[in-house]
Amino acid sequence: MSRPAHPHAMQPKRPGRTRTAPPQLPPQFPMSGRYRAYTLFDWTGLIYLLLGFMALEIVWAVGSGPAAWAAITARFENPVYIAFHILAFVSVIFVGVRFFRFFPKSQPPRIGPVKPPPQPVILAGLYAAWIGVTAVFAFILSGGLSG
Amino acid sequence: MKHLLLKLEPLIWLLFGQGILLGTLLLTGWVLILGIAAPLGIVAPLDFEQAHALASSFIGRVVLAGVIVLPLWKGAHHMRHVSIDMGGAERDTVVAPLLYAVALFGSVAGVIAVIRI
Repeated sequence: MSRPAHPHAMQPKRPGRTRTAPPQLPPQFPMSGRYRAYTLFDWTGLIYLLLGFMALEIVWAVGSGPAAWAAITARFENPVYIAFHILAFVSVIFVGVRFFRFFPKSQPPRIGPVKPPPQPVILAGLYAAWIGVTAVFAFILSGGLSG
Repeated sequence: MKHLLLKLEPLIWLLFGQGILLGTLLLTGWVLILGIAAPLGIVAPLDFEQAHALASSFIGRVVLAGVIVLPLWKGAHHMRHVSIDMGGAERDTVVAPLLYAVALFGSVAGVIAVIRI
């Protein structure tokens, strides 16, 4: 007479390791297809890092006196610095456009009792703030407040 | 170190997110005028007295602190992800603390720089 096997009759004494395939980068990574924008967005980190330290240098020069300020403004006229800042400007625009496009989609459906405004309104607000802050900054930094 | 990084993740993400959002808002005009237009002679560069007057006000100091600190954290966090994507997660326990230490050093120096104006 045969009887049904115990459900765990063939079970090993120790559970085996769960086997998973090793992670693989997609073939389009890093600079093809949709990965190009992703990779470039990440690499803007280097530009921002350098911009942060350059801003530090400028502010430090303001605190150090007229000679340091004259030296740094003269250094910024070097073509290498100008080329870097043109690249940095393109990077900042790229980051802004990419992030602002993503930002409205990342909002939760509710923040406490409040519903966020519709996505196009958030996007328009971000662009208005961006243009406004840039215009005010440009006005002030080009001596607009000094008459 | 991995545990510490995980604990600090919310703070790092806050600084990273504000680095993208506020950093981008502030840096666009900053780079355009100080980095391109003034050196090329399109606009007259600020003289020292003008720069000092702007930078030494309370609002000026806060804005300058933001211009220095926030991009550093955006940069450090994104470069960490470049390192993970390009070289694997194994070296993250070395690269991440190094990059965040650079951002922290720059942030502390930035706060000192705005205080000493």
